[in-house]
Amino acid sequence: MSIQFKLTGALYREIMRDLERPHRFAAERVGFVSGRMGSLSAGGKLVLVTRYHCIPDDCYIDDPDVGARVNSEAITRAMHAVYHGRSLREGIFHVHLHQHHGEPVPSKTDWREIPKIMPGFQAVGRQAAHGMILLSADHAVAWVWLPGGEPTISDSISVIGIPIRVFERKALQ
Amino acid sequence: MNSDRYSRQSFLGADSQDLISKCTIAVVGLGGGGSHVVQQLAHIGFQRYVIYDYDVVEESNLNRLVGATLSDSLAETPKLHLAKMTIFGLQREARVRGFSCKWQENPEPLRECQIVIGCVDSYKARQELEIACRRYLIHYIDIGMDVHSKDQLVIGGQVILSSPSSLCMKCMGFLTDETLAREAAQYGNAGERPQVVWPNGVLASTAVGLAVDLVTNWTRSDRLHAWLVYNGNENTVKESHTLRNRQTTSCPHFSDADVGDPVLREL
Amino acid sequence: MGYPKEQVEELKRYCQKLNAVTEDGVTYLYLEGLRLPTRCQPVECDALLCPEPKDGYPSRLYFSSQIQGAYTRNWNVSNARIVERNWFAFSWRVEMANPTLPQLLIAHLSGFAKER
Repeated sequence: MSIQFKLTGALYREIMRDLERPHRFAAERVGFVSGRMGSLSAGGKLVLVTRYHCIPDDCYIDDPDVGARVNSEAITRAMHAVYHGRSLREGIFHVHLHQHHGEPVPSKTDWREIPKIMPGFQAVGRQAAHGMILLSADHAVAWVWLPGGEPTISDSISVIGIPIRVFERKALQ
Repeated sequence: MNSDRYSRQSFLGADSQDLISKCTIAVVGLGGGGSHVVQQLAHIGFQRYVIYDYDVVEESNLNRLVGATLSDSLAETPKLHLAKMTIFGLQREARVRGFSCKWQENPEPLRECQIVIGCVDSYKARQELEIACRRYLIHYIDIGMDVHSKDQLVIGGQVILSSPSSLCMKCMGFLTDETLAREAAQYGNAGERPQVVWPNGVLASTAVGLAVDLVTNWTRSDRLHAWLVYNGNENTVKESHTLRNRQTTSCPHFSDADVGDPVLREL
Repeated sequence: MGYPKEQVEELKRYCQKLNAVTEDGVTYLYLEGLRLPTRCQPVECDALLCPEPKDGYPSRLYFSSQIQGAYTRNWNVSNARIVERNWFAFSWRVEMANPTLPQLLIAHLSGFAKER
């Protein structure tokens, strides 16, 4: 099954600008985006990213063992976004930036920590897709937890701005 | 990719061919305008196509249908087939999804595209395509021509760019409730509209130029909306006065709520 | 857009499920399983009621398929794309001053029953 993402150029720039900002003590920043579903042919899914939720500086926890750790308030805000987006089947995606070029790959910490928050989002927004988006300086990839499903990697993420950018999984090229 | 083949368009940027090859582009309508568009896209190096047309070549198309021959009109070759031959003749490895139907009858493939070029022949059809493009975050480029008479015959046309989060055709003043209502009132009485090859060529080339700029941003214009008016009598393509005089800076017609599959609110 | 509760409740009597959906700034009432007048084939279908001016009409009722009724009608809308479905409508102008939603629906459906 094909899973594709799209977001506008303006939103992509907003996300990158926020994630590239330095934090007082965290090595990196994280955020959340809202995403709404569309259907593709052959049962494929399209996730349309609509909004970015910046995490306030004071929601970060000083933990030198990880790049960034956020507190429960940040998660609660994300849950609220899911709750308010239920009627539009809008889900939430954790997003962060790896500072390199090329296709990003989740770290051990990413795989250990991020999936833990998915059940909470799924409980609030059962009909929506949730997941995580990983960005690099010039690429992006996402993992999606479809309703009732296991995490599935995206085939592509398209930035619909100028210039258009299409980040494709290397395996597909 | 053979570097010699595209050496003359290297000014588009060092990675332009890579960007062009990754873009999925739809052409809705493969008639007088669409046949030009498809030909140019294939020359430039686009590899991924979604194309729609349910019609066949007729003799009356031969004054303008690029790639069509007398044999095609006798054989009633589907316009879709003609377009595929044009593409594959230039891009053997192209991925072409072609549909011999109205796009509304098979809309999902359109949603995978980054750009849709609409070569349709009514305001209603344009409106429907634009709504779909806004819903599924796609750049929409529209072309159309007409011959009308005031005191004299005038060849006119337009090329419009409508992008998500930028001005739409209503914002720009091209689509209005009045034009849609007037067109609806004429349903069935539209008759055969005049069509000739050279305005189609101008409009198609302008549209393809916009598409290439969206993919490469070689002009650095960062332009996300445009309404270019073609005057075939004066041989000009200029920005619309209506758009230039508009004060609108953001689109009130489409919002976040209009993105994605429609969600019904039970009453 | 809020509709008067009593009108919504009355409208629900004509269909299996009643929804609202908005597109391009227009709010439609989406009637799932609308029961059609006698001598119509099919006997029921989905419908979109647009209570505001559209396509040059003061209001419009769209159907999920072209309906065969007792009288020939001019189906001047075919495969109109609204809320990601295709809809059909016949030419039928309803001129009423401030109709309720059920009155509007009935007036549009009378297009099947009247020879005009």
